Amino acid sequence: MKKIGLTTTVPVEILIAAGYTPIDLNNIFITSRDYMKYIDIAERDGFPRSLCTWIKGIYGVCMQNDIKEIVGVVEGECSNTKSLIEVLELRGIKVYPFSFPHSHKTKDVEHEINKFMNLFNVALKEVEVIRKRLNEIRALAKEIDELTYIDNKATGFENHLYQISSSDFKGDISAFEVDLKKVVCEMKNRKPINRKLRLGYIGVPPMTPDIYAFVENLNANFVYNEVQREFAFPRSDEAIDIYQQYYDYTYPYDTQFRIEELKKQINVRKLDGIIHYTQAFCYRAVADIVLKEKLDIPILNIEGDKLNTLDARTKLRLEAFLDMLLDLKVAKK
Amino acid sequence: MRVLGIDLGSREVKIVLMEDNTIIHSMKVSTMSFYRNYCSYDGKIIVDLKKLNIHQIDKAVSTGYGKNNTDLLMFTPINEIKAHVYGGFYQTDLNDFILLDIGGQDVKVVKVEKGITTDLELNEKCAASCGRYLENMANILEISIEDMSKHYQNPVELNSTCAVFSESELIGKIAEGISIERLCSSVNYSLYKRLLPLLSKFKGKKLILTGGVASSVAIKKYLKEDYEEIVSIEEPQYNGAIGCCYYGSKFL
Repeated sequence: MKKIGLTTTVPVEILIAAGYTPIDLNNIFITSRDYMKYIDIAERDGFPRSLCTWIKGIYGVCMQNDIKEIVGVVEGECSNTKSLIEVLELRGIKVYPFSFPHSHKTKDVEHEINKFMNLFNVALKEVEVIRKRLNEIRALAKEIDELTYIDNKATGFENHLYQISSSDFKGDISAFEVDLKKVVCEMKNRKPINRKLRLGYIGVPPMTPDIYAFVENLNANFVYNEVQREFAFPRSDEAIDIYQQYYDYTYPYDTQFRIEELKKQINVRKLDGIIHYTQAFCYRAVADIVLKEKLDIPILNIEGDKLNTLDARTKLRLEAFLDMLLDLKVAKK
Repeated sequence: MRVLGIDLGSREVKIVLMEDNTIIHSMKVSTMSFYRNYCSYDGKIIVDLKKLNIHQIDKAVSTGYGKNNTDLLMFTPINEIKAHVYGGFYQTDLNDFILLDIGGQDVKVVKVEKGITTDLELNEKCAASCGRYLENMANILEISIEDMSKHYQNPVELNSTCAVFSESELIGKIAEGISIERLCSSVNYSLYKRLLPLLSKFKGKKLILTGGVASSVAIKKYLKEDYEEIVSIEEPQYNGAIGCCYYGSKFL
C-alpha cells in the first residue's frame, strides 16, 4: 500500500478506501529520538526561527522520510500550514487539498468530502465500509478514555498516547487493534489510582509529553485530553455517515463550537482545572482570551516551543497553579 | 478562632494575629533580633510566643525566604507566592490582578486569574531592584527613605546595573551639582527601570503593590503609566503575614 502523509486529521476513511496507508507526520516527528534534526532541516531551508515547531517538524519529516504524497488541509488549519504546503509542492511532493469549511454548514462539509472522494475516485459505499471497521477500533480508544475518567485506571499519558495514535492507527489498522485490545485488558485488571486533582488538557498535543508525569507528582491527573480525543472521533458511533462525523468534530471549526463540547466534558469529567497548552507563535494562543472568559473554571495557559521537556519556569508555574487549586478543592469539601 | 501568621523577610519579620478573620494585632521585629531574641533551636526553630506576648493560638502559619528558615515548630509553612496572593485576596476582594511585591532583597510578580496563580517571576542573581538599594542610596544622600521616595520629577539617568556602582555614580551626580530633589527622583526612577523587564510579561489592569517599597510615592507614580489602576492596600508590609492568617483560617 502506498503511504500518504497527513499534516492533521482528515477523512482517513477515504484514503484507506483508495488503498493508501495514512501516516500522521506529527506523530513521526514527536516520537523521533532526534526530533531536533527535523527542526534543523527546516530552518536550514529557510523556515524562520519564530515559527511553530510543528510546521518545521513536519517539513523535516517529509524531507527525510521520502514522503511523496500528502494531504494538505488548506481551510480549517492555520496559514502556516498553507505556506508549508506550498514549499512542499516546490520540493516535488504531490499535495491533495482538503478543506474543513469555515462556514461549518452541513452542506458545505458534505461538498468538501464529496470533492475529496472524487479526488481519490472512491464511492460513499466503500468509504462507509471502512468507517464501520475504523469505528470498531475507535470504540477501543473510547474505552481507554473511559478507563481514564470513569475508572481512574488509565494514566493521562496513556490516554494521550492511544487517542493521538488513532489519527493514523499507527499505519496498521489490525496491528493497532490487537495492541489496543491487549492494553484495555491489562488496564481493566489494574487498581484505580486516585489523585486529588482532576485536570483537563486542552489545546494542541504537547511538545512536552513529560507534563503528564509531572502533574502526577503534584497529586493531579489529566482525565481529559481535548484535541487528542477529537482526533480519535469519540462520537463517530453516533454519526449516521462520514459527513456527520466530520461535521461533529471540534478541532478545525470556530471556538464557540469547541466551547460547547468543552463545557460538556468539564461537567461529565468533574474537572477541577484546565491546562491550556499553546505552541509558541501559534494563533491559537489568542483563543485563550475567549476560553478564559467563556469557561467557568481555573485555566493555566502554558506554552511550548522547541524543547521536548518542560522548562523550569513552566514547572514553577504549574506547581503554583496546582498548589492553590488543591487548597480550593480541600476548602470546598 | 485565633490564627497567627509570620512572614520572615530578609530585613524584618512581620507578625499578624487574626481573630475570626479580623486583624487584632500586628508587629514587626528586625529579622536578626527575631532569631536572636525570640527563637531557640532544637532540631527545629522554636518561636517563643510568650516573649512576643502572643497567647492562645489555634493555628499558626509561616512563610518567608527559603523553606528551612521558615520551618518553625508548630507552624505550617507555605510558600511566599501563595502567602502574598492570599494576602491580596484578604486586603482587596479582587480575583484578577497582578501582584508586585518589592521586599528588602527580592521582587516577586504574580499574575492571578479567577482566584488562582497562573504566572510568576522572581528576581534572581541580583537584588538591585529591591528595598535595600533604596536604603543604601538614601544613606548616601543623607536623607530618610520616606523623604527620598516622594520625589519623581526630572530624574537623571543612573545607568549602572550594579547597586554598589550606582552609589559612586550618584556621588558623581552630586558633584555635578544636581539638586537633591532630582537625585532622589533619579534613584527612584532607576529602581523602576530595573523592575520593567520583570513586569513586561505581566500585563494586566489592576496592580497590587506590596512590600516595604509599596509606600513609595514615586514608584507608584511611575507604575501608574503601566497599569490602569494601582490598587492601594492598607498594610502592604504585612501582606505576606496576613496571607498566612487567611490560609490558616480558610484551608487548615
